[in-house]
Amino acid sequence: MAIFNAKDRIIECKLVYYGPGRGGKTTNLEYIFKAFNKNTSAEMVSINTMGDRTLFFDFLPIGLGKIRGCEVKIQLYTVPGQTRYRSTRKMVLKGVDGVVFVADSLEVRRKANILSLRDLADNLKDEGKNIFQVPLVLQYNKRDLAEQGIPLLPVEIIDLDLNSKLKAPYFSASALKGQGVGATLKHALLVTLRQLQKELQWTR
Amino acid sequence: MSEKESIKTLLKEAEIYRTQGLLADSKAKYVEVLTLIGKNPAFSKNQKLVDGVKGKIRAVDKSLHELKERPDKPELTQDMQSLIKKLFTFSQTKEAAAIEGAVALAKFGQYDKALHEFHLLLEQGILPLVTAKNIVRCYGALKKPEAAVEQFTKWLSRDTFSFDELKQLRSFIIGVLKKEGIVVRLPEVAARPKRAAAAKKGQETFLEISAISIHFQGGPFQSQDLDFEVQFQSANTVTVHVPSTRKEVAEFLAPGTRLDDIQCYSPITVFRSSGTVAGTATIKHGPKQGDFTLDISIDAD
Repeated sequence: MAIFNAKDRIIECKLVYYGPGRGGKTTNLEYIFKAFNKNTSAEMVSINTMGDRTLFFDFLPIGLGKIRGCEVKIQLYTVPGQTRYRSTRKMVLKGVDGVVFVADSLEVRRKANILSLRDLADNLKDEGKNIFQVPLVLQYNKRDLAEQGIPLLPVEIIDLDLNSKLKAPYFSASALKGQGVGATLKHALLVTLRQLQKELQWTR
Repeated sequence: MSEKESIKTLLKEAEIYRTQGLLADSKAKYVEVLTLIGKNPAFSKNQKLVDGVKGKIRAVDKSLHELKERPDKPELTQDMQSLIKKLFTFSQTKEAAAIEGAVALAKFGQYDKALHEFHLLLEQGILPLVTAKNIVRCYGALKKPEAAVEQFTKWLSRDTFSFDELKQLRSFIIGVLKKEGIVVRLPEVAARPKRAAAAKKGQETFLEISAISIHFQGGPFQSQDLDFEVQFQSANTVTVHVPSTRKEVAEFLAPGTRLDDIQCYSPITVFRSSGTVAGTATIKHGPKQGDFTLDISIDAD
């Protein structure tokens, strides 16, 4: 849950990048860190001591400046996608304000996407939240691999698999190349802050 | 697509999956290539090709094996452990925050550091029963049943816990270790030890309550059952959390409100009781800002 410091007019909220393992969540944050470094208030922290697999989480604090008279600070997190790290994902989801679900467009990852989304819904439920009510944006990542002739799921199919009931906004992306990363983040922030504005009755 | 092209495509796919870290998918593709080669004598005679693909499969297998052997939650640096505590502590009260920080460390697999913190908290007398249970959980996760037994024996010889608390701890240890597939023999809690500190009369025998369900017999929630998880407990007073979205509940349960039908859930039993709202408070800071806490005094009999 976001922290609203009414005296200093500072809002801090938490956005979590969720999705199957090796889907590109960390790559999203790395790109954001590089591309928006004037907004980042600290270094990106990657607690992944085993090569390039996230074992704990990544953390990147960014500042958005003043919005409606309030200083808005965002904490971006990723979760470890591997199935066995469920308890870590639950911890990282604590107090979440918005979620970006990074789906893997590779055909071979179709089932992993579905299972990860189900895991997200379950973990949100344990947090007392409903996936249909949490600000959520979907990102269909790795679209660039089509150029290399690797079988990808058509966007319509991924959307049918994951989003037919949720009807959440979605973006095609290549986190490695930075395509769609900014748009995904921007929209996720928009829906999250819109919800917080309602909840906190935050006005000028 | 010719068979040669199919093999080329599959090899490319396998290699990309490998670089993406999708090792199982990569292996599946290499195996597919090998099957395809086996079906075509022109390719199967090409020993260099066969050996090349087999070599790739062995390399992927090796990576898969290494991955499996790696510890799930390696020990982190002190800086990282401090960051975890900072990022995953939400409570505003000092005691709750201290416990929460240590619990976060344990949840992230930093059991040794968490144990160190829990022992310090126990020495300081902070929520002793909760702290002790977390110590046991850590020993369970570390698969150190002998340490849990030794710890329990120490608790038996000291007066940190009451007779009932020791009995609770005993069954808790057995339960936690059983979950880990470990059966231990623990000394019985034979006699009531001298009570530590200045425990008030009636506090010693009150069971730990993990959740309550209030059945309303009047007011706006008449005939409804509302469930609350117990955040903290001090003797017969439990503190429950009410989110700001249930403001009407917090408003109705003003201090002094009698609750004649409360179902109490403890780890060892469920019992029906009654009680009185002892106090309410609004959380002013932190992630639960705007939410409420209610103190409910459960009738002791």
